[in-house]
Amino acid sequence: MKTKFSARDFSLILSLVAVWAFFAVASPQYLSARNLSALSVELAITATLALGMLLVILPGHIDLSVGSGVGLIGGIAAVLVFNHHWPAPLAFLPAIAVALLIWFAQGTLIVRERIPAFIITLGGLLIFKGAFWLVINTHTVPVAPGGRPNLFSLLTTYYLPPLASYGLIALVMLALITVTLRGRKRRASLGFEVDDAELAFLKLFLTAQALLLFVLCVNQFRGIPLPVLILGLVALVIQIITRHTPFGRHLYAIGGNEEAAFVSGVPVQRVVIGAYTLLGGIVAITGLLQTAYSGASTTTVGDSMELDAIAACVIGGTSLRGGRGTVLGVIFGALIMASLLNGMTLLAVSPELKFIARGVVLTLAVWMDVKLAKR
Amino acid sequence: MPALLEACAITKRFPGVTALREVSFDLRPGEIHALCGENGAGKSTLIKLLSGLHPHGSYEGELRLDDRPAQFRSIADAQRNGIAVIYQELALIPELSIAENLFLGCEPRRGLLIDWEKLYTDARTILGRVGLDLSLETPVGRLGVGQQQLVEIAKALSKQTRILILDEPTAALAEREVEILLTLLRDLRARGIACIYISHKLDEVFAIADRITVLRDGATISTHATATTSKNGVIRDMVGREIKDLFPRVASQPGDVLLQVSHLSAAPSPNAPPRLHDISFAVRAGEVLGIGGLMGAGRTELLMHIFGAWGVRQDGQVVIDGLSLHDATPVQALAAGLALVSEDRKRYGLVLDRDIGFNLSLSSLTRLRRGLLLDEEAEVRANQKFFSSLRVKAPSLETVVGTLSGGNQQKVVIGKALMTDPRVVFLDEPTRGIDVGAKLEVYELVNRLTAEGKAVVLVSSELPELMGMSDRIVMLHEGRVGGEFTRARATPEKLLAAALGRQLSAA
Repeated sequence: MKTKFSARDFSLILSLVAVWAFFAVASPQYLSARNLSALSVELAITATLALGMLLVILPGHIDLSVGSGVGLIGGIAAVLVFNHHWPAPLAFLPAIAVALLIWFAQGTLIVRERIPAFIITLGGLLIFKGAFWLVINTHTVPVAPGGRPNLFSLLTTYYLPPLASYGLIALVMLALITVTLRGRKRRASLGFEVDDAELAFLKLFLTAQALLLFVLCVNQFRGIPLPVLILGLVALVIQIITRHTPFGRHLYAIGGNEEAAFVSGVPVQRVVIGAYTLLGGIVAITGLLQTAYSGASTTTVGDSMELDAIAACVIGGTSLRGGRGTVLGVIFGALIMASLLNGMTLLAVSPELKFIARGVVLTLAVWMDVKLAKR
Repeated sequence: MPALLEACAITKRFPGVTALREVSFDLRPGEIHALCGENGAGKSTLIKLLSGLHPHGSYEGELRLDDRPAQFRSIADAQRNGIAVIYQELALIPELSIAENLFLGCEPRRGLLIDWEKLYTDARTILGRVGLDLSLETPVGRLGVGQQQLVEIAKALSKQTRILILDEPTAALAEREVEILLTLLRDLRARGIACIYISHKLDEVFAIADRITVLRDGATISTHATATTSKNGVIRDMVGREIKDLFPRVASQPGDVLLQVSHLSAAPSPNAPPRLHDISFAVRAGEVLGIGGLMGAGRTELLMHIFGAWGVRQDGQVVIDGLSLHDATPVQALAAGLALVSEDRKRYGLVLDRDIGFNLSLSSLTRLRRGLLLDEEAEVRANQKFFSSLRVKAPSLETVVGTLSGGNQQKVVIGKALMTDPRVVFLDEPTRGIDVGAKLEVYELVNRLTAEGKAVVLVSSELPELMGMSDRIVMLHEGRVGGEFTRARATPEKLLAAALGRQLSAA
């Protein structure tokens, strides 16, 4: 696609720079390698969940239950590992299966019974929260019995060693360059406009710079955190699904005009149920990551994560009416959210103020969405 | 005679386009002035200017009202000056009653509360002025489009309107409703209300207008008194050429029966009374079957039901090319070789904020697959094929569909249907709201389809189109077949009688 930069893109970049500048001044540790490494883990978790949320917002739905779901799925895995002494990889399987099943069921209820997603998933929010607390018996359940690292705890404590990190970045850049060149050639051969060679080069160059800067930073600490790699994989998969499959096209069509999509032969119900089921899979991944990051399944794991995910989507240019939104935008939105939350934690901002700040950001983002939609 | 409303050398620019170039137009007191032009000629832009939607300062030139400069800042401002617009898309709230809609936003009050008694008395009076005799408590959503339009006009009249602007008012109306509307407009004219009337239907224009102004490519081409010009003259002005044959149907040799509908009955929902009763007809390869009828006769429901997008089957059978369709969804209908071009392209046809390519291939994506992924090269090739063969006028496949004119949007909808390679094509009002040139292209396309051995079902509210383009015609009357005619035997009188549920004696 030919690149168009909008005022919105610029305001996003500006707000990110403003957030970083503010916290860098307020707390010198904000830009330390250690904190940036932590920030990248938090970004990875928020962004992964937000990418799942994108799949249901695109066709014009929503999911308020993912936060509770994150807690529940992490809780199930933790209880199996800690109380029942299952090996971690084995414990992941039922946790993931439960998530897929739950979200398949929610999607089915939403489209077959025509109950608004808002209501179904609001019910889900409460039900999963209760189920979560039942599962962990409102105790704290560590993910690694006796503090011995297992696959569960390694999810957020494994780092790709510095040398391998450089190698990976080189590979990623090589792949990006190949894809860009091939894409340009194909678009040109089909008679479409392409970016100027200079602009295309600049984009690749800046991407390379950013990736290199990121690796330089995290390598000062321990290397690329595993969650970032997981995010990379999830983002790649979601990008392919949304941009290069009929299913993804159908998601955009349903969000753009559901009646027209239906009459055009889009299997609307199947597509929406599919989107919710995929979201279930992503809730499972996020649940395992977030629980591992907390070190244990406790009653607060996953709290308000649905709102962070929705905020990340909307900040990143996803329309709550459906039909508009991109993977890159959502990751960017998640970066802004994660930067804010991380900075506030670093400054030891009180939970009260944190709630208020989150709320203000979410409201502002939605307000902006509505404003832009009216044009 | 001094002009009531006058536009003097108006130029309106949008980013990249000049929509109006030095357009001049004047409306005299108590006249009906028709505005004609192909889509994209600048009619809508001019209306938006006159109604304050494009406020003063956003254009060059001058508007004059009562021979004084007028500077409308908003729609409300223009309304205060007595100008009201009835748009093609009606601005009524379906769930509210007629009376509530009439006074929406200016409810009579007693203190803080609504004065319901006055509201209903006044509503009765206003409704009387447009000749509607309906229960004031009926939700507007239950009225037909024609009646809704009358309610909208009544609403405008309640606001001391002196100038009524109607944008394609009859696009969705059946002949009888058109007649009611035209009578009303003549009546209003007699009472001194001036009217700007925009329509593609020249029959109506010549039946009602005192003067006719033609716009083309954003410029005024001509203004004539109706008596001193002719339809051919107006068409020549509109398209810049003469259209000799408006309905170039070339009949082809009918082949096998591709669509057989027998004793079909269907209702909107499982427990509702049926809307379609015992309908039977057949369409052969290479044949155009026309379906006519008044508004609400069930034409659209019939097509949508067969296609699997409306209602519940209660009885009967639909067989497409030997394959029986029952409780089908559009997915199955398309797979069976049936394609539908809906009458409401904005609602059922297009994803407006997506590009042409996205819309063209939307129905064919699952067949443009390589493994799990889209074969994007095959998609673009298919898109380009229909983009050029249908002559969509747009810079590229990546142009957003919502920015296209009605005729070009319609071509995209048709292209989307044809890309599925159907054997039977349903065209529901395919020429509604599109200009003369684009209409001709649609007719030629119908000929091409039948020449390729496809079967076409054409629904139309316009009798000339129905008679001009169909090989056989089925008229529906209140959800039943009111009569079936061959092209040779069809006359307007017979068709109308069948639509009204009457048999002409000695037919």
